Amino acid sequence: MKLTRRQFIGASATAAATYSFWGIGRYALAQSRSSAISDATPVDKVLREEKTFYTSDAFCASECGLKVTTLNGVISTIYGNVHVPYNAGTICAKGGSGKQVIYSPYRLKYPMIRVGARGEGKFRRASWSEAAAYIATRLEHIKKQYGPESVIMDGGDMTDQDPYWRLFYTYGTPNCAQHGAICDTPRRFGPQVIEGGMRIEPDLMRPVLVRQPDGSLKNDYSYANKMVIYVGWNPFVATRINYESRGTLAAKANGAKIVVVDPAFSNTAAQADWWLPIRPGTDADLFAAMLRYIISNNSPGDPERNYIDPTFLEYSIGWPAFEAAFRSWWNKTDPVNGLPYFSLEWTAQRTGLAASDIRELAHEFGSTKPAALVWGMNGTGHHFNGEVVSTIGTALNVITGNFDAPGGVIDTALVRSNKGGNNASDYIKANPAQRVVNGKTVTGTSWDLEMDNNGAWPAAFWGALGAYPKQFAEGVQIQYGPFAGYSYPIKAFVVRGGNPILSASTKDRWSEVVTAKDASGAYKTELMVCIDTAYLETGMYADVILPEASYFERMGLSDIYPSEPVMYLRQPVVEPLFEAKNQVEIMNLLAKALHDAGDPDIQAKDFWGKYHVQDDFWNEALLKAPGTTNVGKPLPYPHLPEGYKLLGTPDSLEAGRVQIDHTKQQVQGDPVTVDWLRAHNGVAVWPMAWYRQLAKSGGIIATKSGKMEFQFGEMEKINAFMAQSGGKTPYMLEKTGMSQFPTTFFWYETVWNPYTNSNYAKYRDEYPFQLISGRIHQSMSATQYVDWLGRISEEHLWMPLNDDKTYHPTVVDATGGRQVAGVHRLRAGAWSIAVIQMNAADGRHLGLQTGDVVRLRNPLGLETRGKVWLSELIRPGVLRVPPGAGNRMTPGMGQTYEYRNITPSSNKLLDPDLSSPITGMSSYNDMVVKVIKA
Amino acid sequence: MSAGIKLSPIPTLPPPVDPSQEDITIVMRRDLRRALAKPIEQRHWGMVIDLQRCTGCQGCTIACINENKLPPGVVYRPVLENVSGTFPNVSKQFLPRPCMQCEDPPCVPVCPVAATYKRPDGIVAIDYDVCIGCRYCITACPYSARTFDWGEFYGDAVCGAPTAYEEVPSLEYGKVWMREPGTSPIGNTRKCQFCLERLDHGELPACTETCFGRATYFGDLNDPEALVNRVRQDRQMMQLKSDLGTNPSVFYLL
Repeated sequence: MKLTRRQFIGASATAAATYSFWGIGRYALAQSRSSAISDATPVDKVLREEKTFYTSDAFCASECGLKVTTLNGVISTIYGNVHVPYNAGTICAKGGSGKQVIYSPYRLKYPMIRVGARGEGKFRRASWSEAAAYIATRLEHIKKQYGPESVIMDGGDMTDQDPYWRLFYTYGTPNCAQHGAICDTPRRFGPQVIEGGMRIEPDLMRPVLVRQPDGSLKNDYSYANKMVIYVGWNPFVATRINYESRGTLAAKANGAKIVVVDPAFSNTAAQADWWLPIRPGTDADLFAAMLRYIISNNSPGDPERNYIDPTFLEYSIGWPAFEAAFRSWWNKTDPVNGLPYFSLEWTAQRTGLAASDIRELAHEFGSTKPAALVWGMNGTGHHFNGEVVSTIGTALNVITGNFDAPGGVIDTALVRSNKGGNNASDYIKANPAQRVVNGKTVTGTSWDLEMDNNGAWPAAFWGALGAYPKQFAEGVQIQYGPFAGYSYPIKAFVVRGGNPILSASTKDRWSEVVTAKDASGAYKTELMVCIDTAYLETGMYADVILPEASYFERMGLSDIYPSEPVMYLRQPVVEPLFEAKNQVEIMNLLAKALHDAGDPDIQAKDFWGKYHVQDDFWNEALLKAPGTTNVGKPLPYPHLPEGYKLLGTPDSLEAGRVQIDHTKQQVQGDPVTVDWLRAHNGVAVWPMAWYRQLAKSGGIIATKSGKMEFQFGEMEKINAFMAQSGGKTPYMLEKTGMSQFPTTFFWYETVWNPYTNSNYAKYRDEYPFQLISGRIHQSMSATQYVDWLGRISEEHLWMPLNDDKTYHPTVVDATGGRQVAGVHRLRAGAWSIAVIQMNAADGRHLGLQTGDVVRLRNPLGLETRGKVWLSELIRPGVLRVPPGAGNRMTPGMGQTYEYRNITPSSNKLLDPDLSSPITGMSSYNDMVVKVIKA
Repeated sequence: MSAGIKLSPIPTLPPPVDPSQEDITIVMRRDLRRALAKPIEQRHWGMVIDLQRCTGCQGCTIACINENKLPPGVVYRPVLENVSGTFPNVSKQFLPRPCMQCEDPPCVPVCPVAATYKRPDGIVAIDYDVCIGCRYCITACPYSARTFDWGEFYGDAVCGAPTAYEEVPSLEYGKVWMREPGTSPIGNTRKCQFCLERLDHGELPACTETCFGRATYFGDLNDPEALVNRVRQDRQMMQLKSDLGTNPSVFYLL
């Protein structure tokens, strides 16, 4: 019997009832169009109707270049864009799964207004105009009553938050944050203070476009690398930097030695030459031992021990002071083990590695040229003392001559293309503000009211999102700058595309502060807004939900961490489904509503009168591309002045179709535009060069002195800034025993580590396990509802241990949250869930078997529960879980939500009162637990 | 190459510094054109998977689902994992497992209606219109490369109906398959066919084009100049279960 879809639907009453769920809006449209194709249609006709788009991913922050095809307005295939050298046509499992994001039944579809209590997840559908007016009215009230600084805008885990920042900076709040604050700021600290950069990666991106001796530009596919050391970094599965997957293995095939330092035998470790199963939270110890060994044993005349390349002294300042401060520790003894700091024996005791292995690693890193030392997000970025790790790591790469050397490391943040500056941060920094402080009227700028840098976190260069709950509860106390002594409450929290309630600090702490009420029973935080495509925990606490277009439905720009400047376009490949809108539309809509509500700062000329369509916004952002300087070997553009800033399309710069401004030292070609990108396979690629720090101008080094600073000018500036306001020591810095921010080599221990920090040694016996997390495809806050990823397993962290379960799916739709008709069954073993990876011998010792449910309890009395997976692939005494993948409380997580009570959350157990003392990062991976059989 | 099928253009990238080092997907697409210019019986499609380059990301598994519009329970190219040893002396191997396209395929003789057959170019194909869904072939395949299409949709797990992307037809074997209840390929056995429809257009199989570690090579095993053959030189190689005499067209580099 041959039935068409429609006949089938019509024939089945239950199916018809559920079909109506999809028979709304654009889905119905898409379906009726697609039904024009039948089995009798010739393939070539279908292919002729297929449309191809070059766009970019944003399912994760790797943002790979994509080639997407659609048929009748529905996505058909997802491939990589081979023209984008960052991923060169390759994509991972997550990249291929985007169809299930955009067409997910769980996604947010309509604007909604809360009808239940915050956290309950009860909403009613609203129109865009009603929702915008609701938000605008409250924002205007807050602005008048408390000042615009009482509003926080969190732009979330996407790099295209500029329209939202523009809106809220112009509204008048300096408090615009984004996910970077809770991503890995300690990992970025060292590069930031030493070279003004952020992200050191191995020189593994191939191809790169290189100027040839004959003047031509060619793609170079060769690998110069001889050694790559990944510390707490698992690029094969964390997939943050696409090219590190194919690049690592190609370099290895070419003879490079690959070393992985990680408590778990990750997929990257599985393909490495050498795995060092280090104790969690001791990366700083290992790096310090390597530095001590290299300094002590450096012998310039001996080719075997010619570790240090003194060239770095030409482009750096302060090394003698850094070295002296470092050496000053060598004779001190550690209270935990009684051994001299940074000695091989001391390091062996603390890291659990053999002294001979540590010596070998130090020697090989020092003597192998080129080599790359790379530290990761979960491994170092999520430890309290990650700032120490990244500082020593940067120094190690620089003094050994590997910085920007072919086959060495590249600070990709220093060499990537600029993509903006239209977020109105210039406006907010200059906008005059007056406040009454201790009875006196004080004048400053709005920027001086920024909550972190003028408050408890003067050096948190991305803000201290993990410590926000304290400020929600206690209000912002301005301690430094013109407004020192001023305080204000947090009254509104606008979150877009992030999930801070779950992932920044603990959910318990967040829900406590955003549901706190005043004496009259009103929420103290008067307005919570969530703008997103996915329905996450943060959305459950929102007063208003605005559905944002997914990354296949909106425009944006990607410039993610390549070795050379690359800029590629994210463009809508399908129309937004349901009532979702793109970020420029939402910016304009909210701006108009604020204007209508009487906000004098929001004018048509800055928003809806200026950006008529989203292209206008991104074309303006592209005016600054690439914004890199013409430096390095080989010189990118030998026909243009060396050291000048480059602006414009690759073809105009190549042809010399430019205007040269000698005063500004700037070369202006034809501006890059959205249309130019569309016409050029979606991507602009400017040439690669190396040794870009050696230019007389200081090249790519972005510190104030133009040199690498081993005496940290930025920290000196912050110390002086604090001193001007009386020099009060920020509370978290005080906990480390420092009264000022370090200005050269510094050391402090991580927290909740009984093996390295004497304050916690007492927990060693009662809480014998260290709890860490490991990032995988499925472990992002908004990943687990994707069916395809739910069905595959990963690294003994996301495994098919689900129980047989019958469930009633709940979707957020026109009626608010609604249980969909029908009962569904997930058979045991059909769905992967977050598990607790435990060393097999540890498990046997506790009488546990894979699949047993246990409770993990920490000394703070916090608990989580989950099933154990006994594994040989992890160090004894360590438990590992996927971050953000367990104990999910939002029905928007689909099948994953159904298993919320048997899946673990490491975030639940982190210490909400501790954040990295300089950058304000939550210490996600510093905790000890005991295991209790449930 | 069937008459009238248009080859898709090969992307143009900047010229390589070293002509022997180039984007392998571009090289392999040129290889495909050479093969497609030959009569079908003179080419032998084969795959080489470099196990030292597999990252275990499972991107190929998903790319294949995307391309072939596979429903729940139907997977053409899983990545198997083998863990061995005890801490700290452990190892882990990843093994992507497409259909082996055997020279002597055990699935073919067991088919009672001759729906499964070996093509002259080496691909083991299934004629969905002939297949009666008896699943003998599933049992016969020593590689578990065949799965059955029971008619499920991803949308079933939530709203009891297909999601919009499941309405997009599969173009397997160069034919349009709307995959509607009661019609093929629902009720048929399904398996990897090296993305035959893409090959016809001079494009690589989905797994090969997207491979994250660039571990997968594809081409005409009869063409000594093809990358799929050059890459095998001087490398240790294996075929899965070679003792069975099936002689797979898929080779693994160790």
